[in-house]
Amino acid sequence: MIALEAVAIGIAQRTLVQGIDARIADGEFLAVLGPNGVGKTTLLRALCGIRPTLAGRITLGDAPLRSLSPTQRARAIAFVTSDEAMLETLRVRDVVAIGRYPHHPWWEWSETTADDAAIEDALRAVHLEGEEQRLLTTLSSGERQRVWIAMGLAQDTPVLLLDEPTSHLDVRVAHEILALLRRLATEGRTVICVLHDLNDAAGYADRLMLLGCERMLAYGAPDRVLTPELIEAAYGIAVTRIDTPDGPRVFSAVNSAGDERPSR
Amino acid sequence: MKAWRLPAILAFALLACGVSLLAGGSAIAPDAIFRALLHPHTHSDITTIVWQLRMPRVAIGAVVGAALAIGGALLQGMLRNPLVDPYLTGVSAGAAAVIALALLAGVAAPALPALGFVAGLLTAMLVAALARRGSGVDPNRLILAGISISALFSAIVAFAIARSNSLDAAQSILAWLAGSMAGRGWHDLLFAAPYLALGVVLALFAAPALDALRVGDVRARAVGVDVDRAQWLILAATSLLAAASVALAGMIGFIGLIVPHVARRLVGSSARLLLPACALCGAALCAVADAVARSIVAPSELPIGVLLAFIGVPAFLYLYLQQERPA
Repeated sequence: MIALEAVAIGIAQRTLVQGIDARIADGEFLAVLGPNGVGKTTLLRALCGIRPTLAGRITLGDAPLRSLSPTQRARAIAFVTSDEAMLETLRVRDVVAIGRYPHHPWWEWSETTADDAAIEDALRAVHLEGEEQRLLTTLSSGERQRVWIAMGLAQDTPVLLLDEPTSHLDVRVAHEILALLRRLATEGRTVICVLHDLNDAAGYADRLMLLGCERMLAYGAPDRVLTPELIEAAYGIAVTRIDTPDGPRVFSAVNSAGDERPSR
Repeated sequence: MKAWRLPAILAFALLACGVSLLAGGSAIAPDAIFRALLHPHTHSDITTIVWQLRMPRVAIGAVVGAALAIGGALLQGMLRNPLVDPYLTGVSAGAAAVIALALLAGVAAPALPALGFVAGLLTAMLVAALARRGSGVDPNRLILAGISISALFSAIVAFAIARSNSLDAAQSILAWLAGSMAGRGWHDLLFAAPYLALGVVLALFAAPALDALRVGDVRARAVGVDVDRAQWLILAATSLLAAASVALAGMIGFIGLIVPHVARRLVGSSARLLLPACALCGAALCAVADAVARSIVAPSELPIGVLLAFIGVPAFLYLYLQQERPA
């Protein structure tokens, strides 16, 4: 379980969000929502221990997160983030194999059979089997996103953090990825995921955390969080909510003529 | 996995060093060289030429090539930039400036390698200090600091050449800038060996993190890499390897830039294969280039730096443009 107590996060002492209290159970799928620049990515980085919090405490199980060594943290939490610049000679398998780094002492350079199995499972999970030797530069942005997710899966951790894993993905692949994350959560892995599509979040996540106005506006089940009032407070737009058998869905009014369109 | 290619590259590097032993001012038959190698204590001219002139040249060439190629691979990986070489640390520019001033002041030639080594290392420390951000190194700052400091020291070299009253001093500065292993012997290699060894050990410590650094600092931290420590290790290793190379052979360009690209094509980008492949390819290229440099216009010598530029620039452009082609 991951617990956040009165956590404040920010960049260079500028507070982005404060007063975050949450207890994320094993096997839970949590979607973090909020407008651009609110601090979602910073929160994820704090949750994987690569950025300090400004205040409060994050614990993983019984241990404060900051008390764990980088390797201990990396064996417990994987963090999947979006693109960065890289050398053009990287191949799919090379990248996914990087996820195995925390499972090796520094002097052990060769891959083990456990590494091979984890890498193959991860590639299969994102439907990239057979693409191991392709250069990253030859992949579409959607395929590249799947490589980063496979790298996180190869890390084989009980907690998986993902920063906008469905960005750059077409609607079919996006739903395949979300279904995969849902399955991982059902199998016992804790999944914490930044999403922009409110309806995707409502459809796949167990609980939502809505950030806005420099605080945590809401944390709970989708039907409690996706209310027109909270969404307007977070994003500054009016939405209409429709309750379906699969949970709440919201639609934003995008023009003065009154046309209503899906939120994304 | 292209690990099977490593033994083939090793065999090629040994062959290149063997071929390099054949080259020189005096024509010596291969079997005579072979006999001299087997009987180092025999008193003969051939044994002296082989053991006191050619062997140290070949060894220094191989060591310099390996060191520059490893340094290039480390820095390219850390900075995620395929266009940097180990001289980005400012090592060569700092060494060149101080050696140019020393030649102008009439400092004796035997003191120059040590002077160049110290100046190169101090410059690398200055560049590293300028590139420091928090407890780590900012890649962009490192590139900017390296280029700026190198430009400043290049201006000092130009000033030293312009101010030199004697043609000899100016020629000595230019000869040093062009890179050469002429006149180097076992004692030079012994001087540089501890620093080269330390550089290689630091590189081995940093190597496992190198693959992770190539996909970005954030991802590297997320998989458990102590990024700050790895960056300092890589910078220290690269600076030591480059400074020792500069002390041994002056400024030899392109090896640190090109060889990592060639090695990646041969064995892939995984550091555990890439670094040994870089060392072997760099050793082979430098040893062969030195052999060509000392035999193509014998009895005089072509500066190896100039020769490598003639080979290196087209080779690099070919490799890079091929890489840019769509698959």
